[in-house]
Amino acid sequence: MATYDLTPRIGPNLDRHLVFPLLEFLQERQLYPDEQILKAKIELLNKTNMVDYAMDIHKSLYHTDDVPQDMVERRVEVVARLKALEDAAAPLVTFLQNPNAVQELRADKQYNLQMLNDRYQIGPDQIEALYQYAKFQFECGNYSGAADYLYQYRALCTNSERSLSALWGKLAAEILMQNWDTALEELNRLKEIIDSKSFSSPLNQVQSRIWLMHWSLFIFFNHDNGRTQIIDLFNQDKYLNAIQTSAPHLLRYLATAFIVNKRRRPQFKEFIKVIQQDQCSYKDPITEFLACVYVNYEFDGAQKKMKECEEVILNDPFLGKRVEEGNFSTVPLKDEFLENARLFIFETYCRIHQRIDMGVLFEKLNLNYEEGERWIVNLIRNSKLDAKIDSKTGTVIMEPNQPNVYEQLIDHTKALQGRTYKLVGQLLEHAQAQPAR
Amino acid sequence: MASKFWTQGGSDTEEEETDIEDEIENGGAGETTAAAAGSRYLQTNASDSDDSDGQKRVVRSAKDKRFEEMASTVDQMKNAMKINDWVSLQESFDKINKQLEKVMRVTESDRVPNLYIKCLVMLEDFLAEALANKEAKKKMSSSNHKALNAMKQKLKKNNKQYEELINKYRENPESEEEKFEDEDEDEDEDESGSELEDPSQIAAESSDEDDEGEDVDDDDADGAWEKKLSKKEKLMDREFKKDPSEITWDTVNKKFKEVVAARGRKGTGKFEQVEQLTFLTKVAKTPAQKLEILFSVISAQFDVNPGLSGHMPINVWKKCVQNMLVILDILVQYPNIVVDDMVEPDENETQKGADYDGTIRVWGNLVAFLERIDNEFFKSLQCIDPHTREYVERLRDEPLFLVLAQNVQEYLERIGDLKSAAKVALRRVELVYYKPQEVYDAMRQLAVLSEDGEKDGDETKVEETRGTSAFVVTPELVSRKLTFPENSRALMDILVTLIYKSGDERTKARAMLCDIYHHALFDEFSIARDLLLMSHLQDTIQHMDVSTQILFNRAMAQVGLCAFRVGLIAEGHGCLSELYSGGRVKELLAQGVSQSRYHEKTPEQERLERRRQMPYHMHINLELLEAVHLICAMLLEVPNMAANSLDAKRKVISKTFRRLLEVSERQPFTGPPENVRDHVMAATRALCKGDFQKAFDVINSLDVWKLLRNRESVLEMLKAKIKEEALRTYLFTYCFSYDTLGLDQLTKMFDLSDAQIHSIVSKMLVNEELHASWDQPTRCIIFHDVEYSRLQALAFQLTEKLSILAESNERAVEARFGGGGLDLPLRRRDNQEYAAGTAGGGGGRWPDLSYNQGRQGSSGRAAYTGGGRPLALGQASRDRSSQSRGTGGYSGRAGSGMRGYQMDASARMVSLSRGVRG
Repeated sequence: MATYDLTPRIGPNLDRHLVFPLLEFLQERQLYPDEQILKAKIELLNKTNMVDYAMDIHKSLYHTDDVPQDMVERRVEVVARLKALEDAAAPLVTFLQNPNAVQELRADKQYNLQMLNDRYQIGPDQIEALYQYAKFQFECGNYSGAADYLYQYRALCTNSERSLSALWGKLAAEILMQNWDTALEELNRLKEIIDSKSFSSPLNQVQSRIWLMHWSLFIFFNHDNGRTQIIDLFNQDKYLNAIQTSAPHLLRYLATAFIVNKRRRPQFKEFIKVIQQDQCSYKDPITEFLACVYVNYEFDGAQKKMKECEEVILNDPFLGKRVEEGNFSTVPLKDEFLENARLFIFETYCRIHQRIDMGVLFEKLNLNYEEGERWIVNLIRNSKLDAKIDSKTGTVIMEPNQPNVYEQLIDHTKALQGRTYKLVGQLLEHAQAQPAR
Repeated sequence: MASKFWTQGGSDTEEEETDIEDEIENGGAGETTAAAAGSRYLQTNASDSDDSDGQKRVVRSAKDKRFEEMASTVDQMKNAMKINDWVSLQESFDKINKQLEKVMRVTESDRVPNLYIKCLVMLEDFLAEALANKEAKKKMSSSNHKALNAMKQKLKKNNKQYEELINKYRENPESEEEKFEDEDEDEDEDESGSELEDPSQIAAESSDEDDEGEDVDDDDADGAWEKKLSKKEKLMDREFKKDPSEITWDTVNKKFKEVVAARGRKGTGKFEQVEQLTFLTKVAKTPAQKLEILFSVISAQFDVNPGLSGHMPINVWKKCVQNMLVILDILVQYPNIVVDDMVEPDENETQKGADYDGTIRVWGNLVAFLERIDNEFFKSLQCIDPHTREYVERLRDEPLFLVLAQNVQEYLERIGDLKSAAKVALRRVELVYYKPQEVYDAMRQLAVLSEDGEKDGDETKVEETRGTSAFVVTPELVSRKLTFPENSRALMDILVTLIYKSGDERTKARAMLCDIYHHALFDEFSIARDLLLMSHLQDTIQHMDVSTQILFNRAMAQVGLCAFRVGLIAEGHGCLSELYSGGRVKELLAQGVSQSRYHEKTPEQERLERRRQMPYHMHINLELLEAVHLICAMLLEVPNMAANSLDAKRKVISKTFRRLLEVSERQPFTGPPENVRDHVMAATRALCKGDFQKAFDVINSLDVWKLLRNRESVLEMLKAKIKEEALRTYLFTYCFSYDTLGLDQLTKMFDLSDAQIHSIVSKMLVNEELHASWDQPTRCIIFHDVEYSRLQALAFQLTEKLSILAESNERAVEARFGGGGLDLPLRRRDNQEYAAGTAGGGGGRWPDLSYNQGRQGSSGRAAYTGGGRPLALGQASRDRSSQSRGTGGYSGRAGSGMRGYQMDASARMVSLSRGVRG
């Protein structure tokens, strides 16, 4: 089951702290032995300042009350450093905590800096200290504090590089606090900067995009409107390019988003081509499902894949998000996915058939007979399907859909008018420009 | 007057030497004159070379004939000179120039025959004489006088081409001829007879040189080489032998300057100079001085090369490599010595001894030397007949060069000169990229073997140095061993990464192409394709030099083969079709010269072209390439023809294929297939009828398949594809005759599984290629009749014509106003977008893998997969020409069609990568 787990591929593109939720999820799903996950957690924590937490995990892993000496030492060190940084940043922090003083700040950054320097003796050093302090807070796991400080730091900071990393920090903190709306704002802000900024090397830019996309997964699969937005973001040429070159595993999320989103047809066709092309670099049941339905037209294969997809979704930290309802939890995305996938199969199937045996069809769609019949009747009633059921033979008969000759003719000639107008417009424009010259 | 000319050539030293030569010859066994024709150095072992002479003297009759003609013309000229008849002299001169071209073509060498050069020299002298003699000039008839002046101009112009050869000839006319001249002085007529031997002697000479060189090598190892020193060197030797302690830096330096100054001067033997300098390296006082002298030795060794077209004698080449290694040894031993060719170092810079602390600058350029050595290696492989043992022997020297390149690269990396290191890395890449794993392994083994052999050689060499008591002993610090990764891919990765980081544009482009080639060779189609698309090389390639364009063509061919092997027929066809569109594959891949019917090439062009040829072992098998191309075309075109059987002109995928098919259909009788083309045509005929088995059998009988590594799987893939296309063709052809068609029947007919047939047919249904639908309960295909009434059909035609009209209007306006403003119909807009993208990206910094040009890259990709017709690799740009890219920088392209074959390969390459459709 762990074959389709993407954590090892996603992990390197995330912040240390962001990997935690993923590990928690894995632990819950029991895809890996507990021991491994706990070890991974300690490994993860070693580079952060959450020493207490690391100690707890260590205890539960080895079932002892002793903690290794280096952890104890590290704790002391961390505390000392925290103290030092707190002192350094103290003047600015006190200033910012004073609501009266904060009101003196204006929109003009230069003015603010000048004012701080003149009246409170707060210079660049203190501002820098604030950044360090915020970062340290973040490392310690105090995300809300870090987010606040970083927000304020950004208002004062003049260095664009620093400002950018502060923004990353803020985004991570918001994600970890699960403030999805704020996080989404930060994400868009970051995206703008990345797209507009001229990076020293294009490689960096791509890397930033990849990071952004990975981080955004947290937001998009938790935010209400995320599923449309993920398509908006990932399906942009620049981002799709980045996915194809450096992180093809993200195709899974994009594919899922496309499947659960019905109104994205034009882009969907393009996306199928991408899937087809990248089959050699990445594939999992979800992309294979699409390939089966839209590239190879293998419906039996698609049906098999659909079952596998279910597993994949349940085991994916982003897709398999649970919603607790009373006593039992459901995975809303899974049901939606299956419903839509079924529709995809059926739709394509209908396009190429004239008469379909319902029994076979329902088998392909993983439905029982009554349920299926109801489903089809509903489709017909909603005029999504131009067909009739022949209940005696148990078949669905498609209405022949011959393209009307006259419609075709009209289609062919409709555009001509517009084109001619444009042509004339161009000619006239040019003719007017001529004498003017 | 001939005598005057002869004596002019010989300087004093030479006469001295001929004396020695004679002495030795007298001592030796009875010599043939031909043996003596070798250069002055081989006299001692002339008897050895006798055998080889015997072999080499077999001369083809056609060649002989040409030479005879030429010789007789020379005779005529001589006669004309005697009577001072400039008119006939002029005629003869024109004649001999024509003959020269023929001779060159016959001998297939770039070397101008000595006879011709001799004649030029003779003419020049005579002309000078005539001009000097004012009295005689006055007496001349007016026509004669005119001819004299015309001749003066012509000769001047003509001789410029051969200036180098003439000078060389003047410096040392062959000793044999010197001897002749004694005898022949009175009987000039006889000379023509002796001239006839010339070609054979030329052949003999080169082989002599080789033999002799090896001998020298052997003797060298014996430490006996002093014996063979010429008088002068003996003198020098003596001078230095007197007392080692007396030799100072100054004396060595003085001598060195003297020797170097003599370089290129009349009468300085080139081998001799090498010997002298080699000797000096042994008495050099400081490492820096030794280095300086070694650089000169290598330069002198390069001078030995007879001309631009010929290659350096192999033994000299080997010594050259050894010298380079010694240089590296010194540089490693004394890290304070810096090699530089930018600044002119101090006069006495090299005086600073081994214990000097500061940096010592020595003039020299390691990379340039290395590149020159590589070029010589390449040239020698070009010249040597690939079917001989000699060629194989020569190929064995490759590890030797690789060792050197590896060491130089390591050294450059250590001193931080990454740019040069990248250049060296490229040389290594270019020796490795075309090797499949098997060949690579063989090379590794060879390297290990020769390493053992070399160890012995090294020992003797060390002894030798001891024997002559070199002042600066250089231990072998640089490893003479080749360290190769197991896998050629690993090696490529290391080198290519270095180049991408620090190479210049051209180096990077070439490395990228080699990388693509190598990936393709290893069946990594998707990686190769991505590299090709992301680097935007297709757009920039026509601005690059010819050899890079050739490399590009080779890479394209290889990518095409790779696509075929992994079963991507449309992509394979996309890569190869352009190569074949002009019918000049050989030329485009630099694997031979194709004779054009319409246009005679000048010798100059031919020579250039020959210099570009790939050595035989790097060739891509043309038969295989042709087979793959035609099969791809067949698989695409046959169902396409069946689908559009009513209007055949409408959609043509491969023009080349269509033309071939027409030709073969026009034949009244078709015999059994003989060549690749016949085979594919026979297969096509079978496929058109839906007979997949016969089609496959015919193709299977081609013997080029044995060249494929994974032959079985490729043929299996091919069979599956043929079945599929046969099914499609069958459906297209007979859909009109059936109302329903059972799945079971199709399974039986085409030996495919239900699922496969279902999938193929479904695909056709969805793409609306076939107007039908499945009837699931009965497992049948039901065909719908889509029949239009006459009126409707006419209406469709009308609309179609209307849209064509509108389109051409738009195009006209666009061409006038330089386009862009028009909102084109969707179909074309795609391409235009791509065009705009690539035009913008063309000048960009491609090796950043175009991440910066995300947009272009992606639309490139979209274009690649998009569209009904396969827009594989760069084909996307085809439509562009019709859209008048006007403002862009492609204006050069417009002319390429008209200039046609007048241009050299560079322009042809342009038309290749751009697509020729107007």
